[in-house]
Amino acid sequence: MNPAAQAAPHVLVVEDDPHLAAGVLENLRAEGYEVSAASDGEQALAWLKGTRCALIVLDVMLPGIDGFGVCRTLREQGNNTPVLFLTARGDPADRVRGLESGGDDYLAKPFHLQEFLLRVRAILRRWDWYHSASATAATAVLSFGGNEVDFRAFRARAWNGEAQELTEKEAMILKVLAEHGGEIVSREDLLEKVWGYDVFPSTRTVDNFILRLRKRFERDPANPRHFLTVWGVGYRFLKDGEP
Amino acid sequence: MKSTRVFQLTTLALVLVSVVQVGWWLFDQRTFTATSVAATRSAYAEQAAAAQALLDAGTSPPRVTQLLPKIVVAEGRARIAPEVSAALDAAQRSRGLQYAWEGSFFLLALGLCIAVIARALRAEAHVLEEQDSFLALVSHQFKTPLASLQLSLETLALRAPAPEQARVLIERMLADLARMELMVTQILESARLERGRVEFKSEPLQLAGAVARVIAQLEERARQARVSITASIEPQLQVMTDPLALDVVVRNVLENALAALAPVGGGSIALSARALFAEVELSVRDSGVGFAPADGARLFEKFTRLHPGGGGGYYGTGLGLFIVRRLMELAHGRVSAHSEGQGRGACFVLSWPTVADAAGRRP
Repeated sequence: MNPAAQAAPHVLVVEDDPHLAAGVLENLRAEGYEVSAASDGEQALAWLKGTRCALIVLDVMLPGIDGFGVCRTLREQGNNTPVLFLTARGDPADRVRGLESGGDDYLAKPFHLQEFLLRVRAILRRWDWYHSASATAATAVLSFGGNEVDFRAFRARAWNGEAQELTEKEAMILKVLAEHGGEIVSREDLLEKVWGYDVFPSTRTVDNFILRLRKRFERDPANPRHFLTVWGVGYRFLKDGEP
Repeated sequence: MKSTRVFQLTTLALVLVSVVQVGWWLFDQRTFTATSVAATRSAYAEQAAAAQALLDAGTSPPRVTQLLPKIVVAEGRARIAPEVSAALDAAQRSRGLQYAWEGSFFLLALGLCIAVIARALRAEAHVLEEQDSFLALVSHQFKTPLASLQLSLETLALRAPAPEQARVLIERMLADLARMELMVTQILESARLERGRVEFKSEPLQLAGAVARVIAQLEERARQARVSITASIEPQLQVMTDPLALDVVVRNVLENALAALAPVGGGSIALSARALFAEVELSVRDSGVGFAPADGARLFEKFTRLHPGGGGGYYGTGLGLFIVRRLMELAHGRVSAHSEGQGRGACFVLSWPTVADAAGRRP
């Protein structure tokens, strides 16, 4: 077990409204999390330069850089800390925008406290699983078909020698598929394991991520040998490739 | 709104059809003139040929020109008289010019119609866009205190907190409710101001008295926030404005200064006034968080909050300074904000016309 995982997870709350920030911080503290607060995007980015945390609860409409911008900047800097967006704008287009900027989950204001805490737990559980599943030297690296993926560094070297930077979702999908090597994994299982319950409107998102993985790692993405589609069900990963 | 738009679009379509019609009319008239002149010229050419035949048959030239007056005979050859040919050219030119003038006039009038309708359509689209963004912003502004209220209530229900913690939560909820109430008041006020539905009186008012009244109302809050407010205003200074508007303007600027002082844990607000030519100028200087100099103008736009919440007990709605600007405009005055940068305080300057100058403005 990772010793860091045993300590209370540290959550950074980035919210410009003092009352809401205070309420969120108090509740997270009551649940046993260690908490820190930032009231704008610049402050959050500065804090994250020197400190690591397990989760960022990020308001979207912040003064200065907005929440989407903060998340994008973090991902560009190679920071894969999971992000839970809190926002007053809850329409589906905004939701997708938030997730495309690299967020893990999205909660519209006003929200239910229990649901918020549930989502925080779910994100941390998913990351905990990912980290413990990549903890040993044997599980941290996956080699298949001339490709080599480093799950801890979110980096890979493709069969043609090209260096690849993986997003956390790509890495997580690959991890789930590799853990169930040779077995069929349904789209719903992938969604549940990687995103949680109702984050994305459709399972088509999973299909798009599989296409991206094929482009990165298959010699002929049109005729995949490792990431196989099982029509109407889901996907199957073959480490040694389809004969 | 919808029927107006249908009317505007239908009119625009009709005007565009008219433009095409005028264009076609111009082309048609020009072609018709050219064809008519060519037909006349051809008829004269036939007369010239007939005259030549008569000459060749032995008819005397005077007789030929008597029979065909538009034909001249020179050196045994019959041809169209030069003045007739010139008259035909002149007629064609004059018709062409007439149509060009008439057509241009019609096209110009239609062009103006299109410009007016297009402008109205653009203005309407802008209003709709503004309404949409206003609604989005209003809903955002409301959802935050609502979320805070819900969170506090659910915390009370979920955790059964100790009495002192419950008290904190209740005070927070009361503050959230007060915030929403202030927001409703300010949104209605700004909507009224934007639509010009305000009765704005203009009367001479003693500035020092009005400022002192507002300071007295905010004194307790300032004391709790460790803010000292000082005012140095000559009692004889008078401004021309509405008494209620003066109260709202001074209060909003002072509340903004209090909000700017909350994140730095208190400080000072100094008010001073002076008479300048035809104006009376009130400066409100605070030692608060300040702002980037480039943000000075943006502060007076709707829903701009450069230091939201600020970490203290006061919440801006983002409408206070917008209302100040509109009320100052109605009083023929001005407002501006200056700061040397974040953390370096700010100064708001309000200028009203003096009593004598405002009297001169009246119709």
